[in-house]
Amino acid sequence: MDICKRRLMKELSTAEKGLPSGLTLVSANDLTSWYIDITVDSNSLYQGQIYRLMFMYSPNYPMKVPNVQFVPDENRPIPIHPHIYANGHICLDILGDGWTPVQNTVSVCLSIQSMLAGNHTNERPPDNDSYVRSAPKYAQDSRFIYHDDSV
Amino acid sequence: MKVRIKEWNAVSIWHWNVSEDEVCGICRVHFDGTCPSCKYPGDDCPIIIGKCNHSFHMHCLLKWLELETSRGLCPMCRQPFQTLGEDEVITT
Repeated sequence: MDICKRRLMKELSTAEKGLPSGLTLVSANDLTSWYIDITVDSNSLYQGQIYRLMFMYSPNYPMKVPNVQFVPDENRPIPIHPHIYANGHICLDILGDGWTPVQNTVSVCLSIQSMLAGNHTNERPPDNDSYVRSAPKYAQDSRFIYHDDSV
Repeated sequence: MKVRIKEWNAVSIWHWNVSEDEVCGICRVHFDGTCPSCKYPGDDCPIIIGKCNHSFHMHCLLKWLELETSRGLCPMCRQPFQTLGEDEVITT
């Protein structure tokens, strides 16, 4: 069996035993895409709100980065953050150039959770409107420029 | 009492010289098991140790390093991956 399936099956069996606090596995029906709900109660900006992340794995996972973005739903808005676009795309180095195969689904969730927990700016990225207008469907197809590591 | 040994069977076990509960960070399989492409553990599917002291199944690491996106970096610490020379391996 290939590395992608084996890795995901291991990750899934671990996830089914329980995820870190604030994370809930919603579905992982076929191994190619997972949905995970995420909460960040330590930050008043996001308290009491549930957000939904979508993970899409290519057959080259974990050598290639998975596509990870927020997906909206009636009760699941896109969190307001200077690195998160209104279409759910996330500008985060480990989801682009900073990816390495030792990262995994849970470690990515924890990075996103801490990125939200540490934010105090209730704003979208400065180029939100122009980006959302021309953005590809999947965040992975965007070339983000990481211009600000302070947030 | 004298005992004459007619025959004996030696049994041995082996494991890589890394801590036993360690898994390869790339495939998440124990070092004493194989990478996902191999059938037989041991010399057929060796581990590789970097100067940064991070270890992986050699086959897993090579798959990563042959990608342009790896930029030759160790997946753990993102320093340029350099193999630890054989004479530098610390044995216990």
